Parts: sequence; structure tokens; C-alpha cells
Amino acid sequence: MNHVVFISFKLLSERKRQAIVSVLGVAIGVTAFIVMSSVMMGFQTYFIEQAVDINAHITLKNEEQDEADRILRVAYGDGVISEVLGSKPKETKDKIVDYKFIISKYMQSEDIKGVAPHLTGQAIVRYGIKEKSVNIIGIDPQLEVKASIIDRFMEFKRLNQLNVDRNSIILGSLVARDLGVREIGKKVTLVAPNGSVHVLKVVDFFNSGITSLDQTRAYLHLRTLQTILDRPNQVNELVFKIKDVDDAERLSRVISRETGYYAESWQKAYSNFLKIFRMQNWITYMIVFAILVVSAFGIFNIMMMTVLEKKRDIAILKAIGFEDREITWIFVFQGVFIGFVGATLGCLFGYLLQEWLSSIRFEVVGLIRARGFILDRSPVYFVYGFVFAMFFSTLASFYPSFKASKLFPVDIFRSGG
Amino acid sequence: MKKVLEVKNIRKVIRDNEILKGISLSVEEGDFISIIGVSGSGKSTLMYIMGLLDEPTEGEVLFEGVRVDFKNHRLLSEIRNRKIGFVFQFHYLIPELSAAENVMVPMLKTQKSRKDALKRAFSLLAELGLRGKENRKPYELSGGEQQRVAIARALANDPHILMADEPTGNLDSKNTEIVMDIFLALNRMGRTILMVTHEIELARRTKKMVEMRDGVVVGIR
Repeated sequence: MNHVVFISFKLLSERKRQAIVSVLGVAIGVTAFIVMSSVMMGFQTYFIEQAVDINAHITLKNEEQDEADRILRVAYGDGVISEVLGSKPKETKDKIVDYKFIISKYMQSEDIKGVAPHLTGQAIVRYGIKEKSVNIIGIDPQLEVKASIIDRFMEFKRLNQLNVDRNSIILGSLVARDLGVREIGKKVTLVAPNGSVHVLKVVDFFNSGITSLDQTRAYLHLRTLQTILDRPNQVNELVFKIKDVDDAERLSRVISRETGYYAESWQKAYSNFLKIFRMQNWITYMIVFAILVVSAFGIFNIMMMTVLEKKRDIAILKAIGFEDREITWIFVFQGVFIGFVGATLGCLFGYLLQEWLSSIRFEVVGLIRARGFILDRSPVYFVYGFVFAMFFSTLASFYPSFKASKLFPVDIFRSGG
Repeated sequence: MKKVLEVKNIRKVIRDNEILKGISLSVEEGDFISIIGVSGSGKSTLMYIMGLLDEPTEGEVLFEGVRVDFKNHRLLSEIRNRKIGFVFQFHYLIPELSAAENVMVPMLKTQKSRKDALKRAFSLLAELGLRGKENRKPYELSGGEQQRVAIARALANDPHILMADEPTGNLDSKNTEIVMDIFLALNRMGRTILMVTHEIELARRTKKMVEMRDGVVVGIR
């Protein structure tokens, strides 16, 4: 192969400008792939991690469904089409009975890390003349830290204050901002749906970075909320933290079957987001694929031009004993070399661009809140980018190389080259 | 004398046009044969077949007494690389390579080291009067010098036969003389040469002259 590499490299080095353009094309494709992937996946992973860990891997609740329909489903299974005539809507009891038993049962499970009870409801929080409607969640801080990472998002790490002072509240950071509560220790007024009014002390701010949560949530102690809502000893949700988050779907079905309540996995809860992310990924990868294909066409074009221009050289090489496969390799090697250099440069540019992006600081306010880009800097994107570039550039050089190898030298000599 | 190359009853048909009509010819070791004929007489086609670049429609080619299998492309390449040297009307030097590198190419194919190949390339170019021009690119050389580099390349692997297709067809009279003198000197040193030309004056200086017309041999002198 020594002679093949020698000629190949000589041909390439004498066409520096074309080679540089091809290399840059590949490098841009790989850079785009790495940076776009790490930005997109960084954002998605951040969102999913935050959302999943704050909320729950599995949420058990008393789903509102038609009782007659529910009974028929239990009796005959999900596949049955049924219609019950004459049944009137009844008030469903928004509570989970025997929740303590359920908690103690699943705390023993090897698949489950923690279970915590929630009582949820709606309320209005007032501060001065400002007021805001919030989702209030009653939690047991001791159990909650085992079932979620809520404590990680407390700005002053004072989740336990809910235990110490039962007349306390933790406000979402954007709720606090909207109300004008800038520091802890301030007293806010909570108006419950039943009309009762309670004065609570703000003991911490909850800042998850996910806008939709931070601007709608407030946490109270479970007992406090039970008193406020006049629902003693009642909970309407159980949240589960499991060992393998990807197993949530299966476990939710098991829990649902065993308890008779509706168990929702995080995948189901965030299915809309996951669908959007999937679509977003497709669009991203299609754009990058297009960039790589365009750069591959660049290589193809240049290789085709080279083959047409080098007909005479190919003819003489064949005359002096080069075999078809050696002619093929002379040109394939050029494509491989362009791909290799382009992919390596692309990885380097990608890394440098990642470094630069991660150093930029600015406020991101949208679906999530962050300061600057959230990047997923997994080496996998470098490996994929490199492999894709090598694949496309080799593929692009193969056809022209094959054409070159099939040239019949006598035709060239006859035509006077 | 040992036969280097022999063709027996060769026919070549290209698109219903019979170019060669049953030609038999043999080249012995130390021969300097010229094939002459007007344009279209089939002399170049005969040389391509004898040089194993093209396959005859009928007939057989024997190289050093062995029948050539035109389906065995690897063997054909091997023979062309190690045992046949080609010189064409146009030099066909690779423009990206220097004179010495052009001469090296056939040697590198034989797995000779780059250092040895370069050494032999310099030696061959010096023998052909191109000392000091080894590192020049083809476009930096005159037509005659380019053709001499092509001859050096043809001699790189010390071939058993040198085949030249109108080697002076593109040269002025002075360079024609230089090239012809080189061929004569090589033949005197024992090199077997088969040359296609349409110049009768050059053909007369070879040991044997084969005249072709309309795809047949009409005379051997």
C-alpha cells in the first residue's frame, strides 16, 4: 500500500485549495453536529432531570373516572367496549385511603427508593396588595427528601423549617418575585378554597429552574394543609422515587394494579414534552445530516473532477501495472484522509465552541431558567460526529474511485489523452 | 534466441470493424523491432495487445513462452509492472510528481523501499542526461526532457521488453535524434525493444522492420 498512499498523498497535496475546502466542509458538519447535539440534549436532559426529580418518578392518585366504567374495566379488562346507561355523575373522593399502609408496603420494595404523601390543592396567596393563585402542596419533609430532590432546590436549605414552624410556607421563587416577597421571614396571607384565611411565614424559596413550577407552587407541611383544607389525615397523592427511572412505566403499571389507584409514570406525565423533544431531535439531526450530506457531495464533486482530470494519469498507472483495486484505493484514501482531517478538526472546533458557549453567561427565561447554555458534554457526540464524517466522506469518494478504476487505458491512449 | 513475446493469429474487432486480421509475430531477446504503417493500419492496436493492455478478439499471446490469460488481471498487471516498459507519444508523466518521483512509481509498486527507488531513479535520470533535473516537475522540463523521464520510468524495473508507441511523434528533430540514440544504445546493451512509428527513417535504423497495412503484416525486413 506504500505506493498507493504515496501517490494519493501527492495528488492531494498538490490540490491544497480543493482539499482545504473539502476538509472545512466536513469540519463544519462535525462541529455543527457536536454543538447542536450538546445544546439540544443538554437542555432536554436538564429539563427531564429537573422535572422528573422534583415531581416524582411515579405519582399515585385517585383518578377521576366514571365508577361504572371503572368497575366494568376491572371485571372484563381494558379491551372491552362498554357503555353504561343511566348512571349519574357522582362526587369522586379525591383521596387515597390506607396511604400509610401503601407507603410502608412500598418502602420495603427493592425497586423503590422512597415514597411520600402529598395533599394538593389551590389557594390564593396575598402579600400586601398583591395576590397570586398557586398550587399548594402539603408535604412531610422527612419523607419528601427520600422521594424527591426538593431540598436541593431550596434557596436557603430550610425545608425542615416546615417541621419546626407549622405556620410556615415555602414559595416558588417566581411566585415570591411576583408577589414582591424578596426575603424570608415575611408573612403572607393564604386564602383557602373554603374561604378560610391563614397567615403564614415564608421560610424559604423553591427554585427549580423550571418556570412552570417556580411560578405556580407553594409548599406547606402536610398537617398544616390538612387543617387549612379541612381534610384531616387525608392525602390525594403519593409520589414514588424509584431506583431505575427508565423502569417507571413498568412499575407504575404494577403499582396501579396492586393498589387500584391510577399510577402515572414520569414518561406519561411529560409525554407532551417528550414528544416535542423527539421531534426537536429529529429536526436537529436532519439539519446536521443535511450538512454532512452537503459536505459529502462536496467531496464527491471534487473527487469526480479529479478523476476526470486525472484520466491520463490513471491510464499510465494502469499501464505500468497498477491494479483496479489500487487505483480505487488511491482515490478512496483521499476521501478517507479528507474525512479524517475534517472530522478531527470538527471535533476540535466542536470542543472549542462548547468551551466558549459554556463560558457565556446570560439569563435564559423560558421553559427553563438558567444562566447561559446548558450543555451535555458527553464524548459520545464526538464519537458519533467522527464516525458519521468518516462514513460519509468514504462513501462519497467510493463511486468516483470505482469509476477511476474502471477506466480503460487504451481508450485514453487512443484519444491522445 | 529466446522468444520474449509472440503473438499468433491475432484478430481484433472493435465495433464490427476488424482492426487486426490474423497477425503472427514474435520478438526475440535483443531484438529492436519497428512496426511501421500509415495511420489506421493497426500498428498501435497490435502494440497494445502485445503490451497486454488490450485483449485480442481471437488468437493468443505468449509472454516468455507462457500463454497469457487476459482474464487474470492481477497477473497482467504484474507482467506489465515488472517485465514491460512503456513509452508513449505523449509522455504521460504525473504532473504532481517530480521527475524522480515519476520514475519511482513503478518501483514502489514492487515493494522496493522509497530510498532504493529514489536512488535508482536518480541514476536512471543521470544516465539519460537529466542530472540536476530530478526534482523538477514535468512542466519545468522541455518536451525532449519529459520524454526522457518517461523512458527512465519505463526502464525503472529493468523490464524484459521496452515498448514504444510513436515515442518521437511529439518531438522536434533534435529531440527525436536524442530519443532514438537512447533506444539504439539501450538495444546495444541488450535491451529488447518494440517500437511503433510511422517515420520510415527511424524504422530503418532498427534491426527489424515490420510493415503493416489494413490490419495485416505486408512485409518484414
